[in-house]
Amino acid sequence: MIALESLTVRFGGLVALDTVSASFTAPVSGIIGPNGAGKTTTMNVISGFLTSAGSVTVDGTDLMRLAPHQRSRWGLRRSFQREQIADDLTVEENLWAIADNLSGSRAEKRANIATALEFTGITAIRTKPGAALNTFERRLCDLARCITGDPRLIMLDEPAGGLTVEETARLGGLIGAIPGLGRAQVLVIDHDVDLIQRICAETLVLDFGRRIAFGPTAAVLADPAVKAAYLGIEVEHA
Amino acid sequence: MQITRSGLVGLILAALAILVLPMLAGGQWLKIFTSTTAFALAAMGAGFMYARLGMVSLAQVGLMGIGGWVTLRLNHAFNLPFEANLLIGAAMTSVLGMILALPALRMRGLYLALITLMVAGGLEIIFTAYQFPNGGDGFWGVGTSFSATMRRPFLGQTDAGFLRYALVVALLGFLLIEGHRRSASGRAWALIRRSEAAALASGVNVTLYKTWAFGLSGLLAGLGGGVLAGSLGLLDASTFRASESVLLFALVVVGGARFWLGAVITAVLYRVAPGLLNNWGVDADLALVFFGAALLHAVITAPDGLAGQIFGLFSKEAAHDRA
Repeated sequence: MIALESLTVRFGGLVALDTVSASFTAPVSGIIGPNGAGKTTTMNVISGFLTSAGSVTVDGTDLMRLAPHQRSRWGLRRSFQREQIADDLTVEENLWAIADNLSGSRAEKRANIATALEFTGITAIRTKPGAALNTFERRLCDLARCITGDPRLIMLDEPAGGLTVEETARLGGLIGAIPGLGRAQVLVIDHDVDLIQRICAETLVLDFGRRIAFGPTAAVLADPAVKAAYLGIEVEHA
Repeated sequence: MQITRSGLVGLILAALAILVLPMLAGGQWLKIFTSTTAFALAAMGAGFMYARLGMVSLAQVGLMGIGGWVTLRLNHAFNLPFEANLLIGAAMTSVLGMILALPALRMRGLYLALITLMVAGGLEIIFTAYQFPNGGDGFWGVGTSFSATMRRPFLGQTDAGFLRYALVVALLGFLLIEGHRRSASGRAWALIRRSEAAALASGVNVTLYKTWAFGLSGLLAGLGGGVLAGSLGLLDASTFRASESVLLFALVVVGGARFWLGAVITAVLYRVAPGLLNNWGVDADLALVFFGAALLHAVITAPDGLAGQIFGLFSKEAAHDRA
């Protein structure tokens, strides 16, 4: 379970997150909202890149007490809106760059990396340097990085950005299959409501840093307040 | 451990240089090649920081001065062999490099470069004010009227022998960098270069690996300074001016920071080109004009420098050749 408890982040006068709370229990959950709603800010708080009031607890561990790189060793993985593949490293070395910082024997890590490459279907290009990968290969490599080392929580920030419809569908299938690999819970941010609808059982909707809806995805998307936030319709508040 | 093609060429060239170069060169050129080797060590340090971590260090020649200072000071104070003086000098430069890195760790890009430039400026003032030890009394060890001898390594008593010795040290320096590049440190550095956020999200201890890079770069500069001290026996503050550090970095970009050949080209341009011009009866300062033009060329059309272009002639894969 991922428990966010009254997260509040201020940038000067701007309130980027305003007492946001949510408890994700589904294997794959989503966070949606218009631009500037606070989705990435939420992710940055969970990663430890931003300090925030409130607490983040995952399976009983208080993440706020760990430095960002310690959170990764604990089992947090994330991708960024722009994929972060090191151009000078091969696909395989990009995965090793994460495994290097984890405990465990070399043989275990090698087996783990082989699994991650196989799962994402990039075993054949494992010796290609990062600089030579196309957009989809980079996204797949990024996803393989996120499942390296038996993680507990994986956060994907717009994983389907820049992909075609077919590629998005394939990536969506892979994300949906991640919980079957091990103990990881997945949080996905995306603009693509179709993707969220397809793979996320629970969804949190943010607008202007506030939680406007949270619950089962179908119910949340039917909520008039959510429709208003997306379509820009004024809703009469009783 | 796999040897890449450019690495193999490098090893062969290094073996040839160690065997043949001291036989071909004579007199003044032996010393010029030895100091070229010393500057190649320093250029290597600045080069890997720039190519692998994207950090600009403008204090590399100043750090060489530290290595040289400590090596000379130990030589005149104790009766240790040259190797001990050289290694202690390099280790102390490395530690100083790491300490200097501490305020710089939160900085990036231009601001980091400016901090290292200020360090180079500070070192220039200290070297000019106190000069280098020549066997005199006191902590600074500077006497006015005499100069004690600088002991050389057993295998490098002659100038030719010492050139061989310096080339071996430089080869070990290259292998040290290459070993790092292929291990966890190299992968962590590659991520830091991509973005620090990505490195943190991958569990990399960014502070540790950045400090280690500064330490390694300082170690190479210190080795270079110690080799220079061993070759010349006396060092002069004017060698280690801040402007020299800036010039060396500019030539690192010209030479190509990603490749071993780049460090060699950098040092040759830095040390041999002015000497050649002198031999031809042309003002050595004219070299600066050529360097400026070469830097523009590198920045505009050759991001991997001359070394990148040379390897590019031989291999289509050169752009991705990671050695």
